[in-house]
Amino acid sequence: MKQSIKMALSSILSNKMRSFLTVLGVIIGVVAVVVLSSLGEGAMDSVTGQIEDLGANLMQVTVKTDRYTGIDLDNLASLADGETISAVSPVLSQSVTAKSTLDTYDCTLEGVGASYFYIRQLEVEQGVTVGELDNDLRLPVCVIGVKVADRLFGTRDVVGQSVSVRGYDLRIVGVLEEQGSSMIISDDEKIIIPFTLAQRMFGSTSITSFYASGASEDVMDQAEQRLRRFVSARVSDPDDDFSLTSQSAVLDMMDEVTATLTTLITGIAGIALLVGGIGIMNIMLVSVTERTREIGIRKAIGAPRSAILMQFLVEAIVLSVAGALIGLAVSTALLMALRGPMGIPTLAVSPGSATLALTFAVCIGVLFGIYPANKASKLNPIEALRHE
Amino acid sequence: MIELEDIQKRYVLGGETVTALDHVNLTVGDHEYVSIIGPSGSGKSTLMNIIGCLDAADGGVYRLDGVDIARYSQRQLAAIRGRKIGFVFQQFNLLQKLTAYENVELPLIYQGVSEKERRVRVGEALSRVGLGQRMHHRPNQLSGGQQQRVAVARAVVTRPSIILADEPTGNLDSKTTVEIMDMLEELHAQGNAIVLITHNPEIAARAPRCVHIRDGRLSEVEPGGSRAVEGGGA
Ligand SMILES: Nc1ncnc2c1ncn2[C@@H]1O[C@H](COP(=O)(O)OP(=O)(O)OP(=O)(O)O)[C@@H](O)[C@H]1O
Ligand SMILES: [Mg+2]
Repeated sequence: MKQSIKMALSSILSNKMRSFLTVLGVIIGVVAVVVLSSLGEGAMDSVTGQIEDLGANLMQVTVKTDRYTGIDLDNLASLADGETISAVSPVLSQSVTAKSTLDTYDCTLEGVGASYFYIRQLEVEQGVTVGELDNDLRLPVCVIGVKVADRLFGTRDVVGQSVSVRGYDLRIVGVLEEQGSSMIISDDEKIIIPFTLAQRMFGSTSITSFYASGASEDVMDQAEQRLRRFVSARVSDPDDDFSLTSQSAVLDMMDEVTATLTTLITGIAGIALLVGGIGIMNIMLVSVTERTREIGIRKAIGAPRSAILMQFLVEAIVLSVAGALIGLAVSTALLMALRGPMGIPTLAVSPGSATLALTFAVCIGVLFGIYPANKASKLNPIEALRHE
Repeated sequence: MIELEDIQKRYVLGGETVTALDHVNLTVGDHEYVSIIGPSGSGKSTLMNIIGCLDAADGGVYRLDGVDIARYSQRQLAAIRGRKIGFVFQQFNLLQKLTAYENVELPLIYQGVSEKERRVRVGEALSRVGLGQRMHHRPNQLSGGQQQRVAVARAVVTRPSIILADEPTGNLDSKTTVEIMDMLEELHAQGNAIVLITHNPEIAARAPRCVHIRDGRLSEVEPGGSRAVEGGGA
């Protein structure tokens, strides 16, 4: 075995350019698979991380019917029993154009209850949040995201200034901490006002959407049930009229996306490595023909068929494994280079995809090497010796 | 002990049948030195390939050391080629990518001889042919005579009982021819059976026994009977 690997290596190295071109297919296949799946995994991890950042106990209910739902601020407040649900806040979102004395900006206006900031785990960088009193008195105040501040005022030092939305002059009482770029929701681009004010602004009387936070991770199931019971009793069709989103549900969905992605990548892997394998088989067949005389000599001096078979099989496997290793090296470099542009600092070759690539490579080597190797081992020694 | 009985070999080429060996009978004893002489195309190489178990006859029986080789499997035949028989070819047939040492080592690797013993035996065989100093040269760095010595070393390294040489001096000048012949004869003196194929009557005459082949038919030549050889060649 040691001898066959040595022989295979010397044969491969004696024709470096050809060997390299042969394994190029395997290299490209491995790089495609490893980079794609590592990117996929990296992106998934990062999205999952962001979802987790939203707060483990966050739940959101959205009623999809326009008809009066029977949910009001009072019965909503009573949902928070402290045991399963710690806080509830209605939300009302609309796209609006906000104006300052300097500029205008299209952003999201969100009317919220006082506990919204607690539920969403949002902090202000300056000033205060929208509170209970603001809601009770329907005060024209707002808390804005940093991006809104930047765009409307060119500075974040804006507490005390006013923005104008739909004819309302809103006094800025707080600026939210910067959230950074996020793929799902950007709180940096929001103007947050008291829920009661938003209802007035948009002429709405019902509550169609609200956030709630579970008292602890252990009671999330009960919390969800409590929410479900509450809403079901207040809509005409409990199956269709509302949706309840919790972090665990979103994470479940992400798992499904990951599974689909994995299937897809496995498919690509299969095709890419098949192409690489055909390249190897092709060159091995050429090699067998070229080395017919060598095979004849080996047989004349006592090489059994199995030894010739092993020699060529090992050569095919060494080729494909070398291709896989080079592919892994290229992938590592590529993923490191992509860390910055993709904004995923942990991007690296995932152990799973590396194992997959290597296993595939060995299989490809065996699968596509066996035919040429068998052909070589079956050569008639006399004819092989006559071969020029 | 080689015993050929009524061996036939035919080739069909484009509808035409060539009889390469025509009812050949030949016995070569354990320590015998036989030369086989004949014109080109007379069937010498065909005969040698059959003796060397590289090829199978179409008819007749070939017994090697008393056993009909038809009873051996492919694997066993490969082992016989490796252990009982040493080949020396006209074209040397060395592997160009391997050094002299590696070429000589190869048959031992196929026999599963340990690395340590291989080192000893390869060194021995190469010094025996006077190439102790050039072990790590590749064939293309050696002269024809030196290459043939490597081939002889490769043939004897397995300590075979029979050496088959097919025109071993065909590609060599007269000086190296004599050297290679001396070497083969020394092997004979040490107890090997030697079958030497040539179309050079002078070389054939060095053997105690000479067999003539023409159109696939064998005939014995009387010892010292150079006339008979001339007659066959006319
Ligand atoms: N594989 C083959 N296919 C067809 N004919 C063959 C084959 N091998 C040998 N022959 C024919 O068999 C005959 C004997 O060939 P062989 O090689 O034994 O001759 P030879 O005596 O060794 O000749 P030379 O001295 O030129 O080497 C020739 O007529 C040759 O053409
Ligand atoms: Mg010949």
